[in-house]
Amino acid sequence: MVTLEIDNQQVEVPEGTTILEAAKKLDIHIPTLCACTEMNHTPGACRVCLVEVDRAKSLVASCVYPVAQGMKVRTNTERVRRARRTVIEFLLSDHPADCNICQKSGQCELQAIAEQVGVRQIRFPVTDFSVHRIDDSSHALVRDSSKCINCLRCVTVCAEVQGVSLLTPEGRGFGSKVVPAMSANLADSACTYCGQCAVVCPTGAIVEKDETQKVWDALEDPHRHVVVQEAPAIRAQLGEEFGMEPGSLVTGKMIAALRKLGFDRVFDTNFTADLTIMEEGHELLKRLKTGGVLPMTTSCSPGWIKFIEHNYPELLPNVSTCKSPQQMFGALAKTYYAEFAGIDPAEIFVVSIMPCTAKKYEAARPEMCDSGYRDVDVVLTTRELARMIKQAGIDFTNLMDEPFDAPMGQYTGAGTIFGATGGVMEAALRTVYAVVTGASMPDLDIKPVRGLEGVKEAALEVGDFGEVKVAVAHGLANARKIMDRVVDGTADYHFIEIMACPGGCVGGGGQPLPASNEKREKRAAALYMDDSRVQKFRQSHENPSIKTLYEKFLKEPLGKKSHTLLHTHYVERSV
Amino acid sequence: MTTEKITRNDLRTIKGNVESARRLSPGGNVARVTVHMGTCGLASGAGDVMDALLGEINNTSVPDIMVRSSGCIGLCSREPLVTVETVNSEPVIYAHVDQAGMQKIFRQHIINGKPVVELALARGLAVNETPPLKDNKKNGRIPHISQIPFFGMQKSIALRNRGLIDPDNIEEYIWRDGYSALARALTELESSELISEVKISGLRGRGGGGFPTGMKWEFCAAARGDQKYVLCNADEGDPGAFMDRSIMEGDPHAIIEGMTIAAKAIGAHSGFIYCRAEYPLAVKRFNLAIEQARDRGLLGKDILESGFDFDISIYRGAGAFVCGEETALMASIEGLRGTPRPRPPFPAVSGLWKKPTVLNNVETYSNIPWIIKNGGAAYAGTGTESSKGTKVFALTGKVRNVGLVEVPMGTSIGRIIFDIGEGIPDDRKFKAAQLGGPSGGCLPVEHLNTPTDYEEITKAGAIMGSGGMIVMDQDTCMVDMARYFMDFCQDESCGKCTPCRVGTKRMLEILERICSGEGREGDIELLEDLAGTIKDCALCGLGQTAPNPVLSTIRYFRHEYEEHIRDRHCRAAVCSKLFSSPCQHMCPVGTNVPGYIALLRAGKIDDAYRVLSATNPFPSVCARVCSHPCESRCRRGQLDEPVAIRNLKRFITDNAKPDRINKLPVTMPEKIAVIGAGPSGLTAAFELKKRGYAVTVYEEAPRAGGMLLLGIPEYRLPAQILENEIQRILDTGITLHTETRVGRDIQFEELEKKFDIIYIAAGAHRSLTLGIQGENSEGVLGAVEFLRSFNMGEEVRIGQKAVIIGGGNAALDASRTALRLGCKEVTIAYRREMKDMPALEEEIHAAIEEGIRVKTLVGPKRITADKGHVTGVELVRMGTGDFDMSGRRKPVPIEGSNFVIEADTVISAIGQIPVLDFLSSTPDVEISGSIINVDRELRTRHPKVWAGGDSVTGPKMAIDAIRAGRVAAESIDRFIREGKGEKPLNPDEDGLIEIPQALEEEAYEMKRTAMPHADSSVCTGDFREVETGYSQTMAMAEAHRCLRCDTEDTGSHR
Repeated sequence: MVTLEIDNQQVEVPEGTTILEAAKKLDIHIPTLCACTEMNHTPGACRVCLVEVDRAKSLVASCVYPVAQGMKVRTNTERVRRARRTVIEFLLSDHPADCNICQKSGQCELQAIAEQVGVRQIRFPVTDFSVHRIDDSSHALVRDSSKCINCLRCVTVCAEVQGVSLLTPEGRGFGSKVVPAMSANLADSACTYCGQCAVVCPTGAIVEKDETQKVWDALEDPHRHVVVQEAPAIRAQLGEEFGMEPGSLVTGKMIAALRKLGFDRVFDTNFTADLTIMEEGHELLKRLKTGGVLPMTTSCSPGWIKFIEHNYPELLPNVSTCKSPQQMFGALAKTYYAEFAGIDPAEIFVVSIMPCTAKKYEAARPEMCDSGYRDVDVVLTTRELARMIKQAGIDFTNLMDEPFDAPMGQYTGAGTIFGATGGVMEAALRTVYAVVTGASMPDLDIKPVRGLEGVKEAALEVGDFGEVKVAVAHGLANARKIMDRVVDGTADYHFIEIMACPGGCVGGGGQPLPASNEKREKRAAALYMDDSRVQKFRQSHENPSIKTLYEKFLKEPLGKKSHTLLHTHYVERSV
Repeated sequence: MTTEKITRNDLRTIKGNVESARRLSPGGNVARVTVHMGTCGLASGAGDVMDALLGEINNTSVPDIMVRSSGCIGLCSREPLVTVETVNSEPVIYAHVDQAGMQKIFRQHIINGKPVVELALARGLAVNETPPLKDNKKNGRIPHISQIPFFGMQKSIALRNRGLIDPDNIEEYIWRDGYSALARALTELESSELISEVKISGLRGRGGGGFPTGMKWEFCAAARGDQKYVLCNADEGDPGAFMDRSIMEGDPHAIIEGMTIAAKAIGAHSGFIYCRAEYPLAVKRFNLAIEQARDRGLLGKDILESGFDFDISIYRGAGAFVCGEETALMASIEGLRGTPRPRPPFPAVSGLWKKPTVLNNVETYSNIPWIIKNGGAAYAGTGTESSKGTKVFALTGKVRNVGLVEVPMGTSIGRIIFDIGEGIPDDRKFKAAQLGGPSGGCLPVEHLNTPTDYEEITKAGAIMGSGGMIVMDQDTCMVDMARYFMDFCQDESCGKCTPCRVGTKRMLEILERICSGEGREGDIELLEDLAGTIKDCALCGLGQTAPNPVLSTIRYFRHEYEEHIRDRHCRAAVCSKLFSSPCQHMCPVGTNVPGYIALLRAGKIDDAYRVLSATNPFPSVCARVCSHPCESRCRRGQLDEPVAIRNLKRFITDNAKPDRINKLPVTMPEKIAVIGAGPSGLTAAFELKKRGYAVTVYEEAPRAGGMLLLGIPEYRLPAQILENEIQRILDTGITLHTETRVGRDIQFEELEKKFDIIYIAAGAHRSLTLGIQGENSEGVLGAVEFLRSFNMGEEVRIGQKAVIIGGGNAALDASRTALRLGCKEVTIAYRREMKDMPALEEEIHAAIEEGIRVKTLVGPKRITADKGHVTGVELVRMGTGDFDMSGRRKPVPIEGSNFVIEADTVISAIGQIPVLDFLSSTPDVEISGSIINVDRELRTRHPKVWAGGDSVTGPKMAIDAIRAGRVAAESIDRFIREGKGEKPLNPDEDGLIEIPQALEEEAYEMKRTAMPHADSSVCTGDFREVETGYSQTMAMAEAHRCLRCDTEDTGSHR
């Protein structure tokens, strides 16, 4: 332990602690900007967290400077305040002054810090932003490099958390900017569109492509029958946008809000999550029985799909051919539901609410139009939906709960846990076990696949098959660890669940900000609570609406119609 | 050559073998020729010289001659250099050798044994390597290397092998005792003993940081780790620094040996040299050296059978300046983007791949073998208290001897520049030296005595850095220089941290706007503020030091920043956005020089006269006596010589027909008095008259003209010429009262009552006294008084032998006048060196030509007299000491060197002061020292009194006085009119004269046209003008030399 003095107060902390952490123990708040301690990102680059240390020649960055015995630190002197102010003044001089119309307004960390340190003027020339610097080439994300403050968080999340290493600093001096490798457009790059960069970006330099206006237009159009689906994670996140505690389960309020917005039908992606289990579970069984390519991996995370297409194209046969629940929903909405409701599928407009930015890209993939139309018309993130609710003046927190519409609104606990890492695996194993053994698992909770550990493994005795070995990874850097073992043959799994985002969909690129592991855990807990306490059924094959779907429309899992509407293929892409 | 692994004993054998192989003898090798082929030599043509040498050897049947190449010997400005050694005679170093020179050296020296004296730089090989032979008549005219300050004042430790060995031959390194220190380190000394030896030596990191090397090693040795690294920083990136390259090219084994010793000290077995890829020759020689060392078992496993393993590889950097920063360098070796990491952890604990690492630079390592061989104490015996040993400086910029110099720490900057570097070419004025490159600062004249000591240099506002020393003269604009370095740092910033990425850009933008004439009040303070923050906040050394050049230039040259911002004036005529042509910019009254030269070329000589008289009422006077600052920055000077602008002006004034002058009307009620009818007073009077004021001028002398009349002899300025110009001024309707001394004939209080405004332009008419014994003897005169008496036609008694004491224009005028008055022996005694004389250079030359003796480095001690009459001057010889505030050497009397020059006349010309007793009862007009205090607009604190000219500045040039007159008139007019809510008047606004367009033509080298002189044999009483003026042909030829720098933006003259 090391004892030091911060602002004349003694504090004892373990060796290796940074000044910033030590100050926190004394409830001294030092502003930071580039640091993102959760992913161990402290490049010491922004120079906002500067403090005075006795005998140090210059100010030091408290986020990286380790404490030492007897050290004397001052965090609130004129020298420190002046330095912080000037540093922020520098950043603001190279940042567009369009805060009021910025998508990140109100959630921008630079804005907040400028207010905190008290910058009231910029005393020198400012950058000319007349040159267009916006990359809106992709379907999912918009990069505005003029708003980049070189905190390098996106570089770290892209490389360390996601193992993609696409974003990189380029150039020198004032011209240095973070760009996709080789200065490519996002659309022409190996970007997975996972959106984790947008999650960690302190400013509006990387944001989701806002498509709320398209939805407003559709809702206004009398010739459109607008239906909406919401991913499992939304009900555990949306409340946060309205000041509710992380982990608040707001399913009923969400449905009520969507109705108020004017959607003609409010359905649920959880319904097709159950359907995915039916198809994917049977696909796994088929592979197990027929000696198909193993291990099989899940396919519901579009970021993961793009990642494997770029990075492990030789492993594409391992990926389940099942479409994601979003795309299964879209294909069925314009076929099954159109038939059911007697509506011309051309008039049906499918909107998804997703915790994900890559879903925007997935919906736009050219092969995703098996219904004869583009299966999903617009994908909104949780943040975009919250914006619409606010624009509509809806008092979200005081809404009365409402139920989903039929025939695509009913779901089981298995469907809902899709939103957390390990959820798909757990749901699939419940059904596979039941299909193979004809009985439910004695305990439906499969704890080893839950939680935020990067790579999780489990083995389960499944009747005649004996032991089924599974692995779960979330965050693409963890996916890489498993896939490297698949490549070199040391992974003896049968089934692997991979979610592109840390924590799974509850940590998606479209989640409410700011993000943290603590919030991810609370959201996941809400979903497990939905599964164990709220839902009547906890296994996908028990879902009555799914049974009806198979009886009336699909006939059987992996059947002909399923093959056409619910399964897909993948594309080899270069890095 | 064997390639077997060697032992410690083999080192001695190899040394002996090389020694005997090198021996020259009539039967064996009769000569050894070394062509110095560092990058500097090769760039200057050393390769061709080598070819020429080999060609000569092939074409001639000669006995055996050893031909070899070697690294640079440090004197880069004299490359290509060749050393010739022959049997039984001293080696000779030749400079500026070309192919023809090499052939001549071969035939004359190598074959026939007669050194080519005209090409020879020095005899001897290196200082202390070959002491001069006592009696060597054959080479007698060639100075010995130790007698040449460039070499003699150096002390070689880091550069001990420079130019002496073939870098591609490891055996030559061993011959110079190479690897003996390593042998000792590996077999005799413990790691702790090595560290302690380095600590005793006091060696500090030579890369710039100056961290004690021994301490760094100690930290690393103490750090826990299975794997440790020794790194060498060879990423030399400071503009103007090239010592590391030179060592790598000339003595690569010294670095290998140093690194291996470091490896033993800290327990490392692997090392990297990080070298910029722009140093291909260094990399090549280094790779070869590594290979040879490995072959001999001096690198690799079981070095010298000691059981110690160490190996080195080269990592080539892509040339990012920031990779000189240690953590960025390590990131780069790791294959990452070369950006710095926050410290701690320090590299000694967690460096390359997070392993304990020692990083030192090339120069540091090359000192190590010497220290281990000779002991740390021997190294510490040189240098200052806190800075031990020697330091290599790369001396560049405006200095005669550009090159590498290694001097004992503590050697003053002035001695390096003026003794070793031999000063500034063309004896121009030293302005500042930039130390430490873009991270450093500049030191001005007042710091020439600063010793090269880490702490002293830092105190003065610069840093030792890696030892770059860039010398700058008056042609450097300090604001532009700061802008350049800021631009460099901004370009080379890695962009990681905010202050360095954005802050340096903002500072650069502010500097850019100052340099382009858009500076604002407050910019200097803003720069200081930003600089302070950036220094305090940046992540690494690059950002923390990037503002240093700005801070040090503001500290020492704040006035230049202010001139740029307030006056839009760049005294170095560098910031071209501030002016249209440098000559016009440098002219104190802004005369449109290119305009009148163009008109002269076009044959419009009367228009040319109108242009030059528009800003100057004394064109003919200035055409003769002006100090022509216009010529000082003439762009033509960069090609050959400046245009002879004053001579062209003379041609115009001699040949033009001036317009008739009409009396100007009085339109303003204010009455203005001017005290003094010199150039300043008359100019003010003229300009005020043009603006409609009634002006009365009071002059003590019987005639107007001031110092122009009283101080300047007729042979330089004929009285009639001056009178004509004064008359034109007076013809505008100015009232002149001569023989009216204010304070005697009319009281100042009376003027205060009678006039609304008073302009004091009283000049400086009293000679300073010498303050020595015997000064009151008869025959001792003041120069001003002497010249005035003569010019006023009074009887002046001058003897046969005159001594004039001083070195300014008054001394020259007095001496040449004395000569013309029949004095037989005229001697000027000046206490400094000739180049320090403040007089115009052409005046000094003319005086010497006329037979005046100039004795320099002598100071007056006493006037000897007999019966009250002077008989001589006792002088003492002066040596040169430290540098004074003017950047000149302080003359220091040499004890016991006194001698007497016989003289019957002694004229004191050591300076003049104004006579201001008439102001004694006017306290509002402040006087400090002997001059009047005024503000920028020449206002005194007295509400109605302005002052200008010599009485404000002390003695200066005529054109400065004329400028003061103009400034005062404009200021007075502005004061009066603005007081009434009117705009100030600009009387020159009308009368546009079309300036001919410049013609597109090629400029060929052509020296300036000399001014024809009357016969230089002076006879008594002959005061005819010496300069006779250009002919038409000469004037046209000279006018054609003008490059018309003005034409980019203006074609007409206002």
